[in-house]
Amino acid sequence: MDKAVKIPKVTIAQHGVWTKETRQEINHKAVTGQHRVRGMGAITRFPNFDDLTVLPAQLSRLSVDTYRESCVTKTSLGSRFASKPLEIETPIMISGMSYGALGKEAKTALAKSTQIVGTSINNGEGGLLPEERDNSYKQVVQILPSRFGFSLESIEAADALEIICGIGAKPGLTGHLLGNKITKEIAELRQIPEGIDLYSHPRHGDIFGPDDMVLKIKELRDITNFEIPIFLKIAAGRVTEDVKIAVKTGADGVVVDGCQAGTGAAPVVASKNLGIPTLPALVQATRAIEDMGVKDEFSLIVSGGIRDGADVAKALALGADAVAIGTGANIAMGCISCQKCHEGVCPVGICTQDPELREKLVDDAAQRVANYITAMTNEAIIIAKAAGKTKLSNLEREDIRSMTLEACAMTGIPLIGTNFTFTEPFGFF
Amino acid sequence: MESLTITDQTSVEVNQMLRRLIKEHDELRIENPHSIHNLGTALKGKCKVTINGSTGYFTGGFLAGPTLEILGNTGWYTGDNMSDGEIIVHKSTGSNCAPSMMGGTLLVRGNSGSRLGFGMKGGDLIVCGDAGRWAGYMTLGGRIIILGKMGPVIGESMYKGVIHTVDPDVESKIGNNVRVVNITESEKQAVTALFEKYQIDHPVDQFKSVIPLESGRHKYTLFNPTHRQSSDANVNLHHKI
Ligand SMILES: Cc1cc2nc3c(=O)[nH]c(=O)nc-3n(C[C@H](O)[C@H](O)[C@H](O)COP(=O)(O)O)c2cc1C
Repeated sequence: MDKAVKIPKVTIAQHGVWTKETRQEINHKAVTGQHRVRGMGAITRFPNFDDLTVLPAQLSRLSVDTYRESCVTKTSLGSRFASKPLEIETPIMISGMSYGALGKEAKTALAKSTQIVGTSINNGEGGLLPEERDNSYKQVVQILPSRFGFSLESIEAADALEIICGIGAKPGLTGHLLGNKITKEIAELRQIPEGIDLYSHPRHGDIFGPDDMVLKIKELRDITNFEIPIFLKIAAGRVTEDVKIAVKTGADGVVVDGCQAGTGAAPVVASKNLGIPTLPALVQATRAIEDMGVKDEFSLIVSGGIRDGADVAKALALGADAVAIGTGANIAMGCISCQKCHEGVCPVGICTQDPELREKLVDDAAQRVANYITAMTNEAIIIAKAAGKTKLSNLEREDIRSMTLEACAMTGIPLIGTNFTFTEPFGFF
Repeated sequence: MESLTITDQTSVEVNQMLRRLIKEHDELRIENPHSIHNLGTALKGKCKVTINGSTGYFTGGFLAGPTLEILGNTGWYTGDNMSDGEIIVHKSTGSNCAPSMMGGTLLVRGNSGSRLGFGMKGGDLIVCGDAGRWAGYMTLGGRIIILGKMGPVIGESMYKGVIHTVDPDVESKIGNNVRVVNITESEKQAVTALFEKYQIDHPVDQFKSVIPLESGRHKYTLFNPTHRQSSDANVNLHHKI
C-alpha cells in the first residue's frame, strides 16, 4: 500500500448558477455596458400544450371516421361588427413578420403559401410589400405605432386590420431592426436613414389609452365602411383586464401573443422575463370573453410557440378561434434556429437583406409552408375526430385534461385520472 | 354653398354625407358641429369645408385632399395620418396633433397641446401660438413651424424632418439625438412662401432649426447616474414623456 493512490480529479462540467450561458452574458455586458439583443425570442422552457391531453371518444360518445368522414376547418373571424369577416380555410394564420426582419423572397413565399392553403398572412411592421399583397390569399395589415410605410392605401388593401398594443417577445417595446438589415430599399420604405440601428416607436401617437382606442376604431370603421375586421394584438400580461378592455373598445377580436413568441430581434431580458406563456394567457382570455358575454361574436386568436396540430386542437378546445404561427413557418422554410435573426446573416436566406444570402432560400419555400400548415391541420382533424367532432371549432374544454398538477392549477382543467381541479375551475363542476 | 347642421347624426353619418356632397360642391359649411369626434375622416377630392364651431378628437384624420377650416378649437389627434389637403384651425388644438401626418398642411392659429407632430412623416405643421412638450418626437419627415414658446424635449430622436422655432431657449429644451442649427436660405424661402399663402405676418430670419444628427445614429442612455455630473450637465436626459 506504499504506492501513492492516484485520486481522480473531478471537474464540474456545469455549475448550477454560473452556467456557460450566464458567464457569456456577463462577459458581454462587461465589455459593452449594454443589454443583449438577439432573435428568436425566449429559449427557456415554458408550460405548453404538451401538458394537456385530449380525451378520445369511446362508449360515452362516438368517434368520427378519420379518413372518410368530413370535419369542418373553415374559420370565420371578426364577424362581431365587420360585414366581411376574415374567412380562411384553416384556423392557422401566419403572424405579422416585418419586411425588414424577413427578406423579400421569404415574405413572398409566405404570401404564396397562404394562397395554396387558403389562409391569411400579416404584413408586420414596415409597410406592405407589393409582392406580398399580390400573392396573399387574405391580407392582414398591421397598424403599428411607427406607421412605417403605412397609409390610407394600406387600409384599402387589407382584408383585416390588426392594431398592435404589444408583442409577446418584447412587450413595451416594438420593432428592433439593426443596421445590417436597413438597406437602401428598407430605409426608403420606412423613411429612415440607411444603416441605422432602429428602435421603433413603442406607442401610438394617435392612441394614448383605451378611450382613444374606441374613437380610433370608430375612425377605422368609417374608413372601411364597417366591412373588414379590426383586431387588437396584445402581449400576454394582465390578460383578463386587457381582453375585457379590448372587448370594450369595439374591436372584433384580439390576438393574444404569449411570452414565448418569436421575434426578429429583442432584448434578451425582455423575451425571458416579461409576460406569461400562451397556455395560461389563453385560459384567462377565454374567461374574460365569457365574462363579457361575447364568446360567440368576439374572436380570439393566440400565438406564441404553436408547433403542430395538437397545439391547434388544444388551443381551440380552450376557447381560441384560431392560432397564428411565426417561427414554425420560418422553420418550414429552412430556419435552423441559430438565433442570429437580428444580425441579418441568416444562413438560409430568411431573416436577411443580403442579396447573396437571400438566394439561399429554398426554391420550394412556399410549398413547404403550405405543406406544414396542411399537415398541422390534418393533425388537428385527427384529434378532433377521435374526440368525436365533425368541426374543429366543436372542440371544447370538456374534451381535455391536464397532464400535470401545474397545468391543472394553471388552466382549471381537471388533472388526468381525477375529476378535480386544484384551482379556480374553468367551466367544470 | 351647401350647408349642413349636425343635430343627432353620428360622425359616420356626417362623414358619409360629406363624402357625397364633396363630389358635387366646391364649398360646404357645417353649422353646430357640437365638438363631434372623428369629423371629416378620410375625405378625398377638392372642396373647402368650413366648420362653424369647435370639433372633438380625430378631426380630419386620414384627410386626403380637401380643405377643412375649423372656426373654433379642435381636440386631440387633429389631422392624424393626413396625406393631402389642409386643416386650418382658427383657435387652438389639443395634444398630439398631426400624429404620423404624411402630407398636406395643418395650420393652428392658436396654441397646440403637447406631442404635436408625433412620428410625423411629411407635410407642414404650423402653430402660430405656443406648443406643449415633446414636439416632433421621432419624426420621419415633414416640417414643423412654431411661432410661440415651446415646452421641453423638442424633437426627441428625430430621424428626418425639421422643426423651426423662435423660442430663445431652444438649446436647453431639445431632446436627445437632435441638434440646433440656423435656418438655411432655401428653408427661409419655403417658410416665407407658406407664410404668404396663409397670411402669417412673421419674420423668418430668426428661426432656428432642430434637426436630426448628421449620422442619423441615435444613442440612448437608460441608466444615467447624475452624482458625478457637473452643474451644466445635459438636462434633457431627465425629462419624462
Ligand atoms: C422574424 C420575425 C419578425 C416579426 N416581426 C413582427 C412584426 O413586425 N410585428 C409584430 O407584431 N410581430 C412580429 N413578430 C412576432 C409575430 O407576429 C408573432 O407574434 C410570433 O412570431 C408568434 O410566435 P411564434 O414565433 O412562436 O409562432 C415577428 C416574429 C418573427 C419571428
